[in-house]
Amino acid sequence: MNKLTTFIIAIVVVFGLSWVGLVAYPVSTLSHLQPLPDEDTGGAFPPTTSGLAVAGQKVYAANGCVHCHTQQVRFSPLSTDIAKNLGKRQSVARDYIRDHTPFFGSSRIGQDLTNYGVKETDANAIHRHLYEPRSVVEWSSMPSFRYLYNYRKIISQPSAQAIQGLTGPNAPKPGYEVVPSPEAQALVAYLLSLKQNYPLPESPEPTAK
Amino acid sequence: MLTYGRLYPAAMSLMAYGWATPAAIGIGLWLISRTSQIPLLHTTILTSAGIIWNLGVLLGVCGILIGDGQPFELLAFPSYSTVILFVAFAMIAVWVLFTAWYARNNKFSLAQCFVILAFVSFPWLFCSANLVLLWHPIQASAQGVVAAWYFGGFNNLWLGAMAIGAMFYLIPKAVDRPIYSETLGQLSFWTFLLFAAWTGMARYIGGPFPAWLVSAGVVASVLALIPTFSIAINIHMTLHGQYRVAGWCPTVRFLAVALFSLVFAAVFAAINALPDVNSVTNFSQVPKAQQILGFYGFFSMVAFGAIYYILPRTYNWEWPCSSLIHWHFWLALAGIILGTVSAFLGGFLQGFALFDIANTFRSSVEFVSPFLFLSMLASFLILASNLAFASQFVLMLLKTGKPKNGPTFLAEPIETSHEPAAV
Repeated sequence: MNKLTTFIIAIVVVFGLSWVGLVAYPVSTLSHLQPLPDEDTGGAFPPTTSGLAVAGQKVYAANGCVHCHTQQVRFSPLSTDIAKNLGKRQSVARDYIRDHTPFFGSSRIGQDLTNYGVKETDANAIHRHLYEPRSVVEWSSMPSFRYLYNYRKIISQPSAQAIQGLTGPNAPKPGYEVVPSPEAQALVAYLLSLKQNYPLPESPEPTAK
Repeated sequence: MLTYGRLYPAAMSLMAYGWATPAAIGIGLWLISRTSQIPLLHTTILTSAGIIWNLGVLLGVCGILIGDGQPFELLAFPSYSTVILFVAFAMIAVWVLFTAWYARNNKFSLAQCFVILAFVSFPWLFCSANLVLLWHPIQASAQGVVAAWYFGGFNNLWLGAMAIGAMFYLIPKAVDRPIYSETLGQLSFWTFLLFAAWTGMARYIGGPFPAWLVSAGVVASVLALIPTFSIAINIHMTLHGQYRVAGWCPTVRFLAVALFSLVFAAVFAAINALPDVNSVTNFSQVPKAQQILGFYGFFSMVAFGAIYYILPRTYNWEWPCSSLIHWHFWLALAGIILGTVSAFLGGFLQGFALFDIANTFRSSVEFVSPFLFLSMLASFLILASNLAFASQFVLMLLKTGKPKNGPTFLAEPIETSHEPAAV
């Protein structure tokens, strides 16, 4: 046997161990997690998401939101995520089964968004935030996502979708309006759908404080 | 359109696939032919693979900028470009394995072991990760584990292994003495292979994954100190008494910095993997400090040192300008130190604010912002140093300057020169 054959077999065996543990194992188990039935309403946990929210995931991915925002609540007492009200319970694998790609994230330059849809329920407020973050949070380091919005002249009737409540330099001129593009609408639908507020048996809410 | 969310992954991907990987491939090809004592044959395959690779990178970066990027670190390229990259790399890997098959030496040298490991593990990592994340995506709940495996594997088993292989070849050559201990080297090789592949999951402590996977990552990150220290001791003992060569030989100087960075980065990774530390530092800038140290302080410095050694030998021309090497080195060193220290300190403050219940999120942002400014300055230093290197490289390709009798040194060698003649 050539010395290369022996050597490569040895590499394959040792490196293969990590492949079995970190690729084959998750593919065979974690990727087959099922939603749990919700006996009260006949629905499921995690709940299904709207088609618009699914489209919004693509916008979230395309604009690299994941590079500043995490979407995971770590358990207590290791972390203070729950004490800081990022969520009432720890995130677990089953929470992500409805996603196409997971946005766990690795940096919190921006807020954690795991339960953004629980805290913020007003679509117009989110549009205002995306259009000009500093008009809502003055110390924000988030860039403006104006390019997801159309600034246009009002023809006959103002659009029902136009962002309301833009003030100061961001307010459109009289006779003009700022209307979200389909991407912005999908993104906001996705952000509103971010909720991990349903019960899962593998992640009970911590009780004693 | 070009917000941080698109520019950052584009820049990181360019760093990983536009600089680090091609540099690693070039060094690896040279090392494998040199150590196997076989000339470069069938170079058409290699040059076409190189062209295909670069087209794939170009396509991938444009893909990220137009919004086709993927949300994984180091795997941000859209699937249509990773297919091209895989094909290009497969051509190169097959070529390398054929060369290793016909190797003329009886026993693989340490450098050869690490280079072969790198060329076997990268296609495996790249193919597996792309298959289940992009080409045929599995359920999202499982994707994070595979992405973490790839992240750890890319840094350690591809770039790390190649850089270590280059060190084991270049240091003995540059100071003209054998590796201190072959046995210690073998120990470091196998422990490295065993532990380094598992470290990725340590970045998900407390995350939505089975606890044992994360624990395995923590244990591996700490145990990875064994190969790191054994490699560092081996290289240090080989260099012992010869560190003064770094005073005039660019290769040794760059490699010496890389050696220190390697030790710091590994100690850093081990401490950062401890759950109590990680609960504060995770999601802050601290992991970025680790990245600068590993990616730039270690890998890139080895790559620069290797290029300073290899290019005159393959191109038959000495480096035209020693002061540009000076600039390159000192600006890079300043950039690495400033970048690491500012990300580290700023990250700690940010992490404490994120962790401490009495602090608001706003304070974490305000604590870190002056340090982010320093990080930006560090990036400019590194940019300037890279410009010095790039201009030197172009001058070299144009064969400017006069033909020289000996290599370009940074200063007059003291006593007898330990730089061996070009073979």
